[in-house]
Parts: sequence; C-alpha cells; structure tokens
Amino acid sequence: MRMSAAHRALVAPGLLILAGLVVAPITLMSIESLRRFVGGRVGAAGGWTLNNYTDLIAPAYAFYFWDTFRIGFLVSAVTVALSAPLAWQAARTQIHLVRLSIFGLLISLLFLSLIAKLYAIQMTWGPTGLLAVFGTLIGVPVRSPGYAEVQVFIGLLHFVLPLATLMLIGTFQNISPRLEEAASSLGAPRWRVALNVTLPLAVPGLLSTFLLVFAMCISNFVVPLILGRGIVLFTTNLMYTRFSDVANYPSGAAIGVIMLVLAGGLVYAMAFVARWMASGETWR
Amino acid sequence: MKLAISGWRIFEDHAAGVIFRLLLAATIAFLVLPIIVSIILSFDNREFIGTFPPPKFSLRWYRAFVDNPSYLDGLVVSLRLALLTAVISTAAGAGAAIALADAQWRGRDLVEMLFLSPKFVPTVVIGFLLGFATAIHVFDAFTRLVMGHVVITIPFTVRATLASLVGIPRSLSEAAVSLGATPWRAFLDVTLPLARTGIIAGALMAFVLSFDEVAVSIFLTDAYTQTLPIALVAEMRANLNLTVAAISTVFAAMAVVIVFFLDRAVGLDNVIGRGMYRG
Repeated sequence: MRMSAAHRALVAPGLLILAGLVVAPITLMSIESLRRFVGGRVGAAGGWTLNNYTDLIAPAYAFYFWDTFRIGFLVSAVTVALSAPLAWQAARTQIHLVRLSIFGLLISLLFLSLIAKLYAIQMTWGPTGLLAVFGTLIGVPVRSPGYAEVQVFIGLLHFVLPLATLMLIGTFQNISPRLEEAASSLGAPRWRVALNVTLPLAVPGLLSTFLLVFAMCISNFVVPLILGRGIVLFTTNLMYTRFSDVANYPSGAAIGVIMLVLAGGLVYAMAFVARWMASGETWR
Repeated sequence: MKLAISGWRIFEDHAAGVIFRLLLAATIAFLVLPIIVSIILSFDNREFIGTFPPPKFSLRWYRAFVDNPSYLDGLVVSLRLALLTAVISTAAGAGAAIALADAQWRGRDLVEMLFLSPKFVPTVVIGFLLGFATAIHVFDAFTRLVMGHVVITIPFTVRATLASLVGIPRSLSEAAVSLGATPWRAFLDVTLPLARTGIIAGALMAFVLSFDEVAVSIFLTDAYTQTLPIALVAEMRANLNLTVAAISTVFAAMAVVIVFFLDRAVGLDNVIGRGMYRG
C-alpha cells in the first residue's frame, strides 16, 4: 500500500527534524573522523587519514575504553543481582501496599533528577558522609584516588537500579507462580526453588536487563563527570574533552563513530534476546 | 500422600527467608538513604559542609537558592526549554505515531526505525553531533538546545503514543468515515481522543527528560544561556555547597508530586501491568 497524503503530512515534520539533526550530522561526523587534525581550525583541513582511529589503540586511550567497559560490566552484574530479588518480591507479594510502595519508590526515583541523586551520593558516600567508613572497610580510603572508582560505581548502580527492577518485575510476572508452588509442595526448599525453577526461567529477562543496563552505563556521561573527580573518565568524557578543551573534532568524531558501532552491536544483541524470549524457549 | 516436611527444611526456609529480607532491606536502604541524607542536609544551619547530622536547622540554603541569579536564570531557561521541547516533540512524535499505527504502508518499518533511532544513539554522541554541526554559530544557544532536546525526546513521544494506539481497532475510524465524517473529522473526533493518554504521557516524559538533561546540553550551551542542570554540574565540580542540597530537595518533592498525579491519573499498577498470571 502506498502512503496516503494524510500519512505523509503526519510523518513529514518528524522526518525532517530527524533527517536534519541526526542523519545529516552522523554523515558529517563520519567524514570528519577521517580528516587530519590541524589545531585551531574547523572544517576542511589537510587531507584524509585513519590516524584518528589508530591513535585510540594506543595504551593511553585504550585505557579509557577499558575503564568504561570494566566498570560498566561490574555495575551491570551487581545491578541484576540486586534488582532481581526486589523485582521478585514486588511481582509475587499478595499485599497491595507492599507492591504499591515498591512501585512508588522506583517510579519516583526514575523521575528524580540524576543530578540530585549524584549530589546525594556525594554527601552520603563522600569524605564528609555517613557511609565514608565503607571505603576503609573495603581497603580504599575515602580520600585515596582509588575511591573515585568506588563512587562512580555507586553512582551508576543507583542510577540504573530502579529501571532494571521495573524491567524485571515484568519478567517475574510472566513466570507462572504455579511452577514455584509445585516445586515447593514436592519438597524443594525455598533456595532450591529460586535457583532451580525461577532463575532458569528468568534467564532471557535477566540477560536483556543486563544488556540494557550495560548500554546505559557505558554511554553515561554525567556520573563519571561528577563523581569521577577527574580520575575516572569514560569514553564519553574523553569525547567531551576533545570537543571543548582542545577542539580536536576529528578525534572526537572517531570516538563518536566507535561508540555508535558499539551501541548498534548492543541493540542487535538485545533484539536477538527479545526474539529468543518470543520463541518461548528457556534456558536448558 | 502427605509429604513429610523435615525440621531441617523448615530451618533452611527460615534462613533463606532471613537472608532474602536482609538483601531487600539493604537494596532499599541503598536507594533511599542518600536521598534522606541530602534532604536533611538542605536544612543545615552551618556555613560549611560538616559531619552528619547537622546540629541546628534553618532555611538559609533555600534563601541562598532564591537569591542566586545564576540558578534562577538557569531555572527560567530550563523551564522554557522543557516546555518548548515537550510541545514540538509531542506534535512531531504523536503525529508520526498515529500514521505508524494506522496502516502497513510501504516503508513503514524503516520510518519507525528512524523515529526510534535517537534512543539507541548515546546522548553524548548526539550532543557532539549537534555541537559540531552548529559550531559555526548560525543558531543561538537556545535554538540549538531545543534542537538537541527534541531529537532525544522524539522516540519517547512516538513510543508512548504508539503504545496507547495498539489494540484500538481501525474499524472505529472507518465506521466514522462510512457514516459520513470526513477523514479529518474522523481523525479529530475518534483517533485523537483515543490516543490522548499516550500523548499526555509522552509529553510528560519529554518535559522531564529535557528538564534534567546534561549530556546533550553541555555541548550546546554558551556563557549566556545556561540550563539549571548545567549550572549545577559546574557548581558541583568546582566546590560542594549546600545550595545544591536545597535544589535537590525541591527536585525530590517534584518527583513525588509527579508520581502522585501519575497514580491518580492512570494508576501505578497500570504503568507496569499485572502480567499474565494475575487477575
């Protein structure tokens, strides 16, 4: 069927906006990433090069990518481990007030400004904070440089936990409680029910939550900017530095292209998991 | 047959229950405690940031917020920006969603993908793109901010409207047309009212996202046009002070108010749904 005039009129404004502000700039950025950087000028400069990409493999820059992925992976794993029990509780509770309180808390946190959250974390886990002893307990004192990473970890965890829990509530709601009851009445202790019945059935949901959280973490900008104290920097921060401090657009563009490719890969993986979920197969 | 439940199993279940509850309590404390600390600190009477809890309380940091012109200017810019973003993004996004929900026309999937695509591009990349593409200063900072915020919020307005249109049979607007309404009237009187909740939800999301945005804005602001989040980030990187605690408390109150109205309007249960196995 062809597009009607009404459809065209409805779609056109948005299409124009996206073509002008996303498609065209991405094309420009890809071209820019292949240009040679000449300090102090914008636009057409001297010739083409792949150096902007090869430079990023150098240890000094590869380190940013390594930090980003390492911390992102760690946060995602802990997020899934902490949000699953909370989500299970919200999905299974018979008490309306418990369910509503968990929902209310999670949704309020979603709507709460990220800056307010990060400030709160700084005041609670930072040097003057109530929980500053935590650093000493794990052997990374609050004033040591290594604590920046602990703070970024806490900040990212706090940022993604509500959304991850809300996603997993959906997962657990679609696992029949009858299966758990059956296992339980056949004599399995609770922890075995959780490990051998609920967990295997939830694997696709846990996996897609993990991937989404991972994508959110590695593309985050504000958390390392505020809590990283300039010690922990993500690739996003590197990209901003390239833009604002040195105006090295070609290098910033190369980082941008790499991030786009990575994001595309993650979206592809998520679509794969979604198809797997739809096919109704479970783990093992 | 009656299954014997051994004493060991009862002990196992109790132990597992206790560990599970402790884990839940720790998770909730992790989420809530910092917010409470920050709210209490916003009433601190001390000049400096001292240890918790504060010995005396006052409203001095709220007065400092109201007396600070850079925060107030930022607030005005942020509110105008969020409002304009919500209007443009909702008009473009909801319109597209209505066309997308309507029929399987050629190229529909490609158009849908394009409309949802900004969601999958890291926001910093969008900020960089626009900052770089408009580095030649054709547009003023506010226009550039509106452009950036509309791009990142469009997927949300499209998705929200699409979600509210799924399951509404096309036969409703066809019936209106066959009864003599023009397609335009059928659209105004049938389709639009049915999509209303989705459109409102999308507009609300666009407003909130825009109001809190940093990663895109930081590439597009200049010395004269600062949003409130950008002013706060600059403040927090330079030195910590308790004015930010007062503003955070205002933000927290806003979040609670939004959720309260969301519960009244659609019911929090309906936001997530009850799943397949509940009545």
